Amino acid sequence: MMTWLAHHRQALIATLARMGKAPYATLFAIIAIGVALSLPAGLFVLLQNITRLAADLPAQPEISVFMQQNANDADITVIRQRLQARTDLAGFHFVPRAQALAALSKQAGVSDLTAGLTDNPLPDAWIIVPAQADAQNMARIAAAIRGWPQIAEVRDDSQWAQRLTALLGLGRDLVWVLASLLGAALVAVSGNTIRLQILTRREEIEVSRLIGATDRYIRRPFLYFGVVQGLFGGLIAWLILVVSVLLLDQQASKLAALYASSFHLTGLGLIEVAILLAIAAALGWLGAYLAVNRSLRLIESR
Amino acid sequence: MIRFDAVTKRYPGGHEALSNASFEIASGEMVFLSGHSGAGKSTLLKLIAAIERPTLGTVTVNSQNVGKMRRAAIPYLRRNIGLIFQDHKLLFDRSVMQNVLLPLQIAGFPRHEAAGRARAALDKVGLLKREKANPITLSGGEQQRLCIARAVVSRPSLVLADEPTGNLDADYARDIMDMFKAFNQVGVTLVIASHDENAISAYGSRVIHLEHGALLS
Repeated sequence: MMTWLAHHRQALIATLARMGKAPYATLFAIIAIGVALSLPAGLFVLLQNITRLAADLPAQPEISVFMQQNANDADITVIRQRLQARTDLAGFHFVPRAQALAALSKQAGVSDLTAGLTDNPLPDAWIIVPAQADAQNMARIAAAIRGWPQIAEVRDDSQWAQRLTALLGLGRDLVWVLASLLGAALVAVSGNTIRLQILTRREEIEVSRLIGATDRYIRRPFLYFGVVQGLFGGLIAWLILVVSVLLLDQQASKLAALYASSFHLTGLGLIEVAILLAIAAALGWLGAYLAVNRSLRLIESR
Repeated sequence: MIRFDAVTKRYPGGHEALSNASFEIASGEMVFLSGHSGAGKSTLLKLIAAIERPTLGTVTVNSQNVGKMRRAAIPYLRRNIGLIFQDHKLLFDRSVMQNVLLPLQIAGFPRHEAAGRARAALDKVGLLKREKANPITLSGGEQQRLCIARAVVSRPSLVLADEPTGNLDADYARDIMDMFKAFNQVGVTLVIASHDENAISAYGSRVIHLEHGALLS
């Protein structure tokens, strides 16, 4: 156990020393890894922000039904009865015009506008949730309601929300594709630096073998190098994201302020940073492992 | 300790370096391998240390069949064998001391104990004063002595030396042979390959003579 610990400590110290001896080569490799990682991670951050923004929107597909301005209580009762009679609805609720105005005037930026009104320009409305949310069904229900008396407008306004959800899904898939591709690039970068290292330390490897070093002992410093290099690359990627979010957030908040929103870009959370670093380290290790095994076999067969 | 049973080693390409060799070396012996270069001396040493595997026959070291040994077990066999090379195989990217420490680090000795043992080994070969030097600054004889220190620092029971005095002048060669004699007196088994018949005969030890891969006893 002590031997094992000592070997690991030795390997770690030797790795850091070796990195220090070739600072430029190390720096470039780390930057390459960092940039490669920052792309999928950046896209992930972007998607998360959009998802957060979209969370305020109706998640469930809804149909908005607006009554004529001159509709009276009797008309409203008729519509309510007809809606209750339908079996293809999951639910519905009535929004009286007074309540709609009160809600609107509470929203920042619009209150000045509503204060100047003498009349309530808003109609009575219904929010309807269909039992089945597919576009065809929605359109059928909307068309039926459109023919009822005293109905001014029927808006199947959930469609774009569905489209956004689909787009976000596409974005998420894109993150995976990009992450896999750049992950492979990271393994290649790591493997290549390790391969060069092995070439320069070939003699040491051969001599160590002759005096009783196990494969594990020979592999260890290279694996450490891969892990430490990946870890530093992950830190660089994180740094790139932090700086990017800081730079972009100024513009994003300005834009959001124009829409009276207090939206702010957020970067990676603590757990996400931990995951990023863990993935970077794991891919660095994998690259090193592949390169070491291949190179050792080559040295052996010589 | 070492036993060859009808061992033949043929390299890819057909060259037969060792033909049907059988002999035994007892524990505590000091044996010279003689013969001109290319007679199979190096191959024989490599077979003992499992650097090469026999094409035919069995090589037994410490009652283990070395030729059939699992790859993962070979390092532990080698830790019990001190190897001395004609070309020294020293590492020039580290100090004399670090070179001697290498086998101890590999075997996992605690740092303090390792340093003590390495100093003792350097003292034995007369290089203690040069412990911080880079081996490239050492003379040929000193480099060979450093190689010996590295071979014996983990106190192996068997030492294999391939032309240890190959390119040294007579005085240095005698120093090194005396050192081997001293190791042998404390119970270490030594197998020394040398083409220098004069040096061999001066020690009166057992000689295994090889000619074109064949054993002439």
